[in-house]
Amino acid sequence: MIDRAATPNRDYALGLARAFAGAILFGLPLLMTMEMWTIGYSARPGRLLAFLIANFAVLVVLSRFGGFERTSTLVEDVLDALAAYAVGIFAAALILTLFGLIGPELSPSQAIRMIAVQSVPASFGAMIARKQLSGDEEEEGDKDQDARSAGYAGQLFLMLAGALFLAFNVAPTEEILLIGYKMSAWHGIALLAFSLLLLHALVFAIGFTGQEEAPEGYGAWRLFLAFTLPGYAIALIASFYVLWTFGSLDGLSPEAVVGALVVLGFPASVGAAIARLVV
Amino acid sequence: MDDREGDAGGRTPLLEWIAAGIGLILATGMFGLLAKEALSGESEAPPVIEVVARKVTPISTGFVLEFEARNRSTAPAAAVVIEGRDAGGSTSTVTIDYVPAKGTATGGLFVKADPANGAIELRALGYQTP
Repeated sequence: MIDRAATPNRDYALGLARAFAGAILFGLPLLMTMEMWTIGYSARPGRLLAFLIANFAVLVVLSRFGGFERTSTLVEDVLDALAAYAVGIFAAALILTLFGLIGPELSPSQAIRMIAVQSVPASFGAMIARKQLSGDEEEEGDKDQDARSAGYAGQLFLMLAGALFLAFNVAPTEEILLIGYKMSAWHGIALLAFSLLLLHALVFAIGFTGQEEAPEGYGAWRLFLAFTLPGYAIALIASFYVLWTFGSLDGLSPEAVVGALVVLGFPASVGAAIARLVV
Repeated sequence: MDDREGDAGGRTPLLEWIAAGIGLILATGMFGLLAKEALSGESEAPPVIEVVARKVTPISTGFVLEFEARNRSTAPAAAVVIEGRDAGGSTSTVTIDYVPAKGTATGGLFVKADPANGAIELRALGYQTP
């Protein structure tokens, strides 16, 4: 057997290759979404910049929870987040160029903004690729990861990451607002209740399996208060932030904003609930 | 804990520094560009679209007039309607999905009169805020 310490660069290259695959896998649905091509130049640069910085912060924390390489220090987390960004930007630029969406007809500033938006899901995919695509080291990594993600704040962070990712995946489409308009207030209440129910069921069923710190004596009710309600709040906040970034909420009536939040809150809460499986 | 977790980055693979360095350059470049645009004012100026004829091809029913729409402003425009009007007053129109800020979009109009005679006036009629 090859001594692992002797081939750190090779190991890291393998990690980068996995990250690239993850970037493509998780970025592709949005790379092939028409609204995403124009959102880069229609979104306000200030909001887009804030979102990219937020994404970077999420990547740094995600690196600790199960990035493409195991880390123990903040420096390593930052290095990994930067590498994930590099892989995400490269993958997004490559695919957009292959699709003929980036070319000489765009000014460099437009092309960069187009890539910038797409680099968000792609870098997220790059970061979580280790968990999703690693195969043989899985079990060892899982134990380690459970240890790292223990703790209430960690759980809430994972919910946030999952909610942001899923919300980001559907938010660019016009359908979010359209569905909001199609639904009556009763539909809205029903969807809200269903989102909570589903979130609770998922938290209860998969949230704590195989974990020592699975809260003993936590009844369904306590779980609801400790995880489901905060989880849904996180999903709504993530939904609001993503829609605001894209400018989808500008000029909407408060009722329409609430409608859009309930609609987007549904996938976001599913994302929050299954974050532990994906990340 | 294991051999990978060395102290103070001393055992961080060289490749990791390279990858992170590239990420740093790309990310700061991206951030910097957006910050510059954000600070230079998310301009309230409207899109300014000029339409220029590029190429004329005769076809059996008249001519194809290919044009380029150039947006001089920092504001993007969607659903831009382009009209070509000949000396006789008959018009052809087309709607361009998107003209990026400081960018261009191309399209064509089917016209009856020969544009080579300089008789077709091209202009943008209107747009939608994206």
